[in-house]
Amino acid sequence: MGPEAVIEVAGLTRRFGSFTAVQQVSFSVRAGEIFGFLGANGAGKSTTIRILCGLLAPSEGHACVAGIDVARDPEAVKRSIGYMSQKFSLYLDLTAEENLEFFGGAYGLGRRALRQRGRELLARVGLRERSAEITGRLPGGMRQRLALAAAMLHRPRILFLDEPTSGVDPRARQSFWALIREAAREGVTVFVTTHAMDEAEFCDRIGLMADGRLRALDTPDGLKRSFLPGEMFHLELSPDRSIDALASQPGVLRIESAGAAYRLRVEAGRFDPEKLRALLGPAAVRVERVEPDLEDVFLEVVTQARGEAVP
Amino acid sequence: MSPAGRSLRRTLALSGKELRHIVRDPRTLYLALGMPVVMLFIFGYAVTFDLDRLPLGVLDADRSPESRELVRAFESSGVFQRAWDLSNAAEEAEGHFHRGRIQGALVISPGFGRELGAGREGQVQFLLDGTDGVTAAIALGYAGAIAKAYQLRLLSRLSLELAPPLDARVRLRYNPEARSTIFIVPGLIALILALMMVLLTSLSVAREWERGSLEQLFATPAKRLQILIGKLLPYVALGMLQVLLVLALGTLLFQVPVRGSLLWLLGTALVFISGCVGQGLLISVLTRNQQLATQVAAITALLPTVLLSGFIFPIENMPWPLQALSTIVPARYFISALRGIMLKGNGPAEIWPQLAALLTFALVMLAAANARFQRRLD
Ligand SMILES: Nc1ncnc2c1ncn2[C@@H]1O[C@H](COP(=O)(O)OP(=O)(O)O)[C@@H](O)[C@H]1O
Ligand SMILES: [Mg+2]
Repeated sequence: MGPEAVIEVAGLTRRFGSFTAVQQVSFSVRAGEIFGFLGANGAGKSTTIRILCGLLAPSEGHACVAGIDVARDPEAVKRSIGYMSQKFSLYLDLTAEENLEFFGGAYGLGRRALRQRGRELLARVGLRERSAEITGRLPGGMRQRLALAAAMLHRPRILFLDEPTSGVDPRARQSFWALIREAAREGVTVFVTTHAMDEAEFCDRIGLMADGRLRALDTPDGLKRSFLPGEMFHLELSPDRSIDALASQPGVLRIESAGAAYRLRVEAGRFDPEKLRALLGPAAVRVERVEPDLEDVFLEVVTQARGEAVP
Repeated sequence: MSPAGRSLRRTLALSGKELRHIVRDPRTLYLALGMPVVMLFIFGYAVTFDLDRLPLGVLDADRSPESRELVRAFESSGVFQRAWDLSNAAEEAEGHFHRGRIQGALVISPGFGRELGAGREGQVQFLLDGTDGVTAAIALGYAGAIAKAYQLRLLSRLSLELAPPLDARVRLRYNPEARSTIFIVPGLIALILALMMVLLTSLSVAREWERGSLEQLFATPAKRLQILIGKLLPYVALGMLQVLLVLALGTLLFQVPVRGSLLWLLGTALVFISGCVGQGLLISVLTRNQQLATQVAAITALLPTVLLSGFIFPIENMPWPLQALSTIVPARYFISALRGIMLKGNGPAEIWPQLAALLTFALVMLAAANARFQRRLD
């Protein structure tokens, strides 16, 4: 093990009535890591985050954040974390600066310290020029960066960001991720949920959630290696042609259709583009070797999870 | 920073933010300061419960000195105005009632004076248009009082032993001209506070539940009590502002007296406001939804204050189940204390039962809200 674990979760379970939203989840996050929590809507990501922030009590299991048991002393946890909830929850009728002033006050910062820290953060998230603007008039990307600044006012060691880039355009997403990486470089541990697979590539490690269970946990490359052994090809066929000719070939592991295109996974070293072209004949419009992405991993994981669920 | 300093900063940060919301959304402010003015004008000028020259039809079938004196007594009361002289037909009165020419009719039977002279009962009939129940009830009260005064005057004249004659004029104490504005203003203060304080606080907290900003706030180390006090303080201040506004206007425009101590008045108002704010908070904690909160506030604050507080309908005249229900309506105690302080010059010696009831209400509401206000989402 490298540096100390700042988040340790063991057998975490949360039920709402008879429904189990999070089931027997265990993992740990090291200091300074960017830890991504991936999963479809309803997978249990927000519920897990809320438990870790001391906002929800776990039904079963343990969670330690910054060395503190969240079930036993949620208030102590709140002092060392910053939280950005999934729903934008700063006040739209206050200015950017006033929002920071308010949350700084809620964290108990003194006036002088708060003013200085507020100015510093506004500059850092690129809002210095617009600090006097009413938050409701700021574009979505800026609002999210302001919410991040609010969560960082008290210099927390750990940041919990729940889908911080949902509903934000790609450029604004990039600038948001730049801020996340900057925080991590300074030693802040970032726990971030998303359902955008491309973003997950930026994470040091990823936990994959499906139906309340943690299905996989590794670095992006590790996930690809263990769930997607072999090589991947991207195929495009002319519209009326079928891919059946390939399906029976030895060494073909999986064919996933994506509209008119296919993602083909095969055992390593058994195929190359020329061979595939030859096999498909005139039906092949395009054949190229691709790197597997996390979308592929996610599909594979969910498929395997479904397979297990069916007796 | 010391823990106490930090705690104060948190509370002030919340109050400051809440104040900004109030200032930013002028609708709240218009409502909070405009409604009292509008209501005061409506109740002060338009909806007056004072009877002024109620048109009266008179049928004096006796035409004796005694009957004429009774008619004069009605005329000179200032409450009734002799609008029509009816001939002997009772249907005629009916027609005038229908056309709205008269709202009351005084019918004196023939032989009225003779009967009285002989020491027997004289027959007088008094008819009232009961369509407007409030007016009719007040008019009936006046008519009864006029008749009684007349009777006593007559008695003293007839039986010489009873001299010196009784002075049986009707005199209303504390409110000699029976002006309803004076009576209404304390009720109006209660109504405005009950409505606005409960509604505004319940909305302000429910809004934060809905928008998710409470979740964000719960993730900070701010304590429950700091959040509650910080949020409620500006509304309490707003409520006090409303009290001062209504008092100032009432005094300036309608010469409503404040005979007792202003300090006790404001103190009583503060206790009442705390209860209302606590009630609003409890509603929002339980509903977590603005629309539902509004409905619950209207049902639990507005209705009882209008109907069961003695503001408009006297509690003594209610059937006993409603009387019993009115004992848990805080406005009842507030109005009674306010009327005491303002009109009778009462102080703590007289109003302590009401004050105790209001304090109990405030404590129960705030404690219940505090207990239900979990800093958790489940
Ligand atoms: N307070 C709650 N009461 C009941 N069910 C809930 C509550 N919060 C979440 N859930 C349910 O738990 C499941 C997981 O929700 P959530 O953790 O928000 O998922 P995600 O964030 O991954 O989209 C969902 O099916 C959701 O409906
Ligand atoms: Mg979520």
